[in-house]
Amino acid sequence: MFSGCPGSKTADFRTKEVQDDAPAGKVQSQLRQWPVQLHLVSPVAPYYEGADVLLTADCVAYALGSYHTDYLKGKSLAIACPKLDSGQEIYYEKIKSWIEDAKINTLTIMIMQVPCCSGLLKVAQKAANDASRKVPVKYTVVGIQGEILQEEWL
Amino acid sequence: MEQYLNRGIKEIIGEFPETGRILDEFNIGCTACSVGTCLLKDIVEVHNLPYEEEHALMLRIGRVIYPGVEVEVPRIERKTQPASGAIKYSPPMKTLVDEHNVIKRLLALIPRLLEGLAVTREDDRQLVLGAVDFIRSYADRFHHAKEEDILFREFGEDLEIVKSMHEEHRIGRGHVKAVIEAVESGDTAAVKEHLTAYGELLTGHIRKEDEILYPWMDRNLSTAQVGELFRKFAETDERFRETASRQTEFIRSLEKQFTCEEVTNHV
Repeated sequence: MFSGCPGSKTADFRTKEVQDDAPAGKVQSQLRQWPVQLHLVSPVAPYYEGADVLLTADCVAYALGSYHTDYLKGKSLAIACPKLDSGQEIYYEKIKSWIEDAKINTLTIMIMQVPCCSGLLKVAQKAANDASRKVPVKYTVVGIQGEILQEEWL
Repeated sequence: MEQYLNRGIKEIIGEFPETGRILDEFNIGCTACSVGTCLLKDIVEVHNLPYEEEHALMLRIGRVIYPGVEVEVPRIERKTQPASGAIKYSPPMKTLVDEHNVIKRLLALIPRLLEGLAVTREDDRQLVLGAVDFIRSYADRFHHAKEEDILFREFGEDLEIVKSMHEEHRIGRGHVKAVIEAVESGDTAAVKEHLTAYGELLTGHIRKEDEILYPWMDRNLSTAQVGELFRKFAETDERFRETASRQTEFIRSLEKQFTCEEVTNHV
């Protein structure tokens, strides 16, 4: 019986039937900026000003098939891994700066269902609570097979 | 069946009274609505019934409209899946629900405020005028301004459900105007009648908004729209900061006054 970290537990979905009913042609990327990693982005980059910002845990875009069309579309992005990234103190400062300096419109945090991912939500929540300006904050929890488990405004 | 989807619900209930009783069974209170111009298809979508319940409701309505005919039930188009569990509001909608809670504190006090009231007495006159000032400045100018000037416009003034909310606001304003006129003419009975009617109207109106309208609006708002509404509501809060704080204090003092009176009366 596996008793370690659920985030590293091996799961095999190869037998899962995948419906191939996607429309013909390539799916367009909805990415509107570069870079995307939270360490690399400036919180006051022009694409964050007044934007709806999507802060996504690294694994989400691989698990969720419709990530680009249903979630990334129309938003400005940053990605991070709360389990493996180092120097995460700066994440708190950057998220706070989005709200206070870039005056973002909303913040959406997308995480995986694994427990370690909730660290990203916690740091974003703390930054949003401490910020002098308030914005609506939403979070979405994605299952390891790409299902939406929870979607809620904080 | 399709043709009835685009007809006003009061009209359908008028023609087939049994449909009103069926809607009641599904906790859709159109029979008690003071306006009733919503279309049948909108009512089904707005109430966000689980698909099986929606099918059962439409089947029963269909059988009333077309007795003896096996009706094909149309599926009402929805943008989102039916929700389950407790209502969770987006931050701007939560603001409106919180304001409703302040208004409901006044509504709860109306019966006690009217007990033994005589507007020929100066104290009673001032009491009623204080309540009217709360209704006009907090409920109407502050709260309804957010709804009418910001939220409803986001969805379009032509929507039947929005029209019916406007209509209830208008009826409410009529009762308040009548209360003021009755105070001026010293007509205590008319004050009681219109303040009671206002309380009943607003109680139902708030329930509709909290349980049906706002959740439906939340299901149809994009993330960007939620942010925009939040920002505009915050600007309104800033503009009415002094009014909101003064009127919340008024409610607190009114609650204290009536609680103290009750305690005194029981001693």
